[in-house]
Amino acid sequence: MKRAIFCGIVASFLLEPGASAHVGSPDVYYQGMAGPYRLFVTVRAPQMIPGIAQIEAQVLDGRVSDIQIMPLRIVGEGSEAAPPPDHMEQSKSDPQFFIGKLWLMESGSFQVRMEIDGAQGKAAMGVPVAAFAQRTLRMQKSTGAVLSVLMALLVLSFIAIFGAATRESQLEPGQAVPPGKRRRARIAMGAAAILILAVLFLGNMWWTSVANANVRDMVYKPPPMQVTLTGGNQLTLKLGSSYWHELRKAEQLDKIIPDHGHLMHLFLVRIPEMDRFYHLHPEETAASTFVETLPAAPGGHYAVFADIVRESGFPDTMTAQLELPETSAKDAGNPLTGDDSEAVAAPFSNSQVNSTAPLGNGEHVDWLTNGQTLQAQKPTLLRFRVLTQSGQPVVDLEPYMGMAGHLVILRRDLSVFAHVHPAGSVPMAALMLLEKRTPGSADSMQGMHYESVPAEITFPYGFPQAGDYRLFVQIKRNGQVQTGVFDAHVEP
Amino acid sequence: MAHSAPYPASAPAQSAVLGRVAEIPWYVWGSAIAVTSTTVGLYWDISWHTSIGRDTFWTPAHLCIHFGAIVAGLSSVYLILSTTFGKNRGAQESSVRIWGFYGPLGAFVSLWGGLAMLTSAPFDDWWHNAFGLDVQIMSPPHVVLILGIFTVGLGGLFLIVSEMNRAGAAARAKLNRVFLYAGCMLTILLLMLNYEYTDYTLSHSAIYYRVLALAMPPALVGIARASGYRWAATKVAGIYVGLWLLALWLVPLVPAQAKLGPVYTRITHLVPLEFPVLLFAGAAAVDFLLDRLAGRNKWLQAAVAGAGFVLVMIAVEWPVGSFLVSPLAENRIFGTDYYSYMMRPSDYHLNHEFYAWEKTRAEFWLGMVFAFVAAILTTRVGLAWGDWMRRVRR
Repeated sequence: MKRAIFCGIVASFLLEPGASAHVGSPDVYYQGMAGPYRLFVTVRAPQMIPGIAQIEAQVLDGRVSDIQIMPLRIVGEGSEAAPPPDHMEQSKSDPQFFIGKLWLMESGSFQVRMEIDGAQGKAAMGVPVAAFAQRTLRMQKSTGAVLSVLMALLVLSFIAIFGAATRESQLEPGQAVPPGKRRRARIAMGAAAILILAVLFLGNMWWTSVANANVRDMVYKPPPMQVTLTGGNQLTLKLGSSYWHELRKAEQLDKIIPDHGHLMHLFLVRIPEMDRFYHLHPEETAASTFVETLPAAPGGHYAVFADIVRESGFPDTMTAQLELPETSAKDAGNPLTGDDSEAVAAPFSNSQVNSTAPLGNGEHVDWLTNGQTLQAQKPTLLRFRVLTQSGQPVVDLEPYMGMAGHLVILRRDLSVFAHVHPAGSVPMAALMLLEKRTPGSADSMQGMHYESVPAEITFPYGFPQAGDYRLFVQIKRNGQVQTGVFDAHVEP
Repeated sequence: MAHSAPYPASAPAQSAVLGRVAEIPWYVWGSAIAVTSTTVGLYWDISWHTSIGRDTFWTPAHLCIHFGAIVAGLSSVYLILSTTFGKNRGAQESSVRIWGFYGPLGAFVSLWGGLAMLTSAPFDDWWHNAFGLDVQIMSPPHVVLILGIFTVGLGGLFLIVSEMNRAGAAARAKLNRVFLYAGCMLTILLLMLNYEYTDYTLSHSAIYYRVLALAMPPALVGIARASGYRWAATKVAGIYVGLWLLALWLVPLVPAQAKLGPVYTRITHLVPLEFPVLLFAGAAAVDFLLDRLAGRNKWLQAAVAGAGFVLVMIAVEWPVGSFLVSPLAENRIFGTDYYSYMMRPSDYHLNHEFYAWEKTRAEFWLGMVFAFVAAILTTRVGLAWGDWMRRVRR
């Protein structure tokens, strides 16, 4: 039988230029154990590298008296010798809240190493941080005004000094200025004006080129991704290399390592309604080429998010858009296998903020908000409880790819995409790399290696900006992945 | 001491006043202190960034730079205000006038430099926020800062030279020493500005000689010409090499620790700047050739002295570069085994091999031709500038 070949639709544009690991969500939220202490750590990434990261630590369990922090690379050179640690400042109003600052001098995969002292002794843990420049800042109007005034003063005084130097500087003391000197001074001032204007013009050209080179070399760009659909259901993703990555080959940003069992976590979301959601795991068939046989999926326009983690623990999220043709399960599409999963949701435009999401058969997931509104940039433990039809906590949750749950967060305009776990927004592969490096902190990967999974799951996160969000909470029961879908509004 | 009596306009009274300029005025010393402080501060700052990393406005290196600016700025303001309104009003006769204010030309030039330094502060602050902490010397705000520092020094040079040109023989000799010293500080500032291009690992590339040809002859020839003394350029370059070697040997005795991560190289002491450019060789060529060609056509002088400068620098720096990349230079004398905290051990080899700036042979030779042409032109500029300075009297 002749196989219809649908070849083509290739869309590979970035949803947001300069988007990062995750998309539009550069800050790190992490919940982990350091010996007997449980901490919720927020690392507010600097806009520019080198720049200062703000670190906040809320002690959730235990009594901590001092926390010291230092930056280290996770692997390779720079992972051994740390600069002298900085003490975090203990809050006077909440002694279990600490705040500190760290310089991040280079882009790449780092850890904020935390050395903790408290009632139960000393302990340590590392929080992975992907350091990258996000964007440049425009000059403030007030700064621009001050600089303009100073520049005008410098220009005018430069011309005046040239005039005076020609007119009088070589006269004997007391000698009157001859007319010829005055004339020459006027010519010199004209020449000085031309000279300084030329210097300003050339300086501006040079500064613009330096600034553009800085943006090109320093501001993070995800690798390009070419997405091709053939045969109706064969999705091929070819990853390129961005100039940003090319410049940083020494920082182990090339090879891809498995992140909780898979080299790539691929998310397809039908837009704009976000009513179809797929969490897939393509296989690498050739270098930087991934292939996935799609399940039967309704046609439409899809946003594509592909998560990978590099050898150094640095995460990249590539984005693209894809047009899927109308197909049926008979013509195209395989049944979901392995860890692949899908979800169907109500159109985003018709939905309202909800705190209960059905899982089928009357079972549901509750979002335990305690009536609190969500605020942008505020570190929050998002708590979900999986309940039976009768409202009792379920007892049959299983680890899904080693974790109690997965949470995917999307802003309505797709400017934010985050793939979060109970340990937070850090890549689990980076945590595994750290685990090898931080003896005695094996418990740091909270949320992994469960013997049994409790019915209540928490995800540490902070919404980067105000707006409407859709959250996909994924859990596993009886070998089946179930997804609860929530809509939320985040206040400024 | 400052001049306290008014300058009479008549010629006999004028010569009487000139005779009194036997002492070195306080503001000449002020200029020397200011330019020394900023130069030392700049050297210290580069060393601080490579050894310790973290900085604030209040690092000793920054304070040194700003102290120099404050000394120069305040003395200039005082000189100008006292000449315009105060007890030194009599000195208006030996001043230049700008926007109704009177003062020596050097004071106005120094003040302009101070204003440029001031301008660089908000510019640099914004640049840091927009593009991150400095990882390069030649960022635009730094160029404004260095231009300001350089102009402050230039103002000091004008102040000294105007005193020299009015002084009798004895005072002139004394002032000449201060002048050459201040000129040396300016030369060091210029070399620090071009530090990234005068690394010994580039000494087998044309860029090294292009940069030296562009930057050095105007300063060396100008200062030597204005000084009027024999071997002046050689002395200036000699002081630079001597001071730089002292810094290379003494700076690593100061304990230090890197305070920024990642720390690729453990730091126990301050890292000095690299082995100096042996500039006195080129300067000696310039002095010798200009002395031989005295009174001849200025373009001929420039052509011979400029080309001679580049030839001698190649003849000296090429083999010295070969020595410096060799294991024989990995010691405290030549200091090629000092590494910044941010240098990866896997990159240490870069200190011990040449970097080919020009990627093709044609680019290299074109660069070398450029170096010779540039040296001739900049030597001519130096001659004109030096001759102009010899006539400055206010």
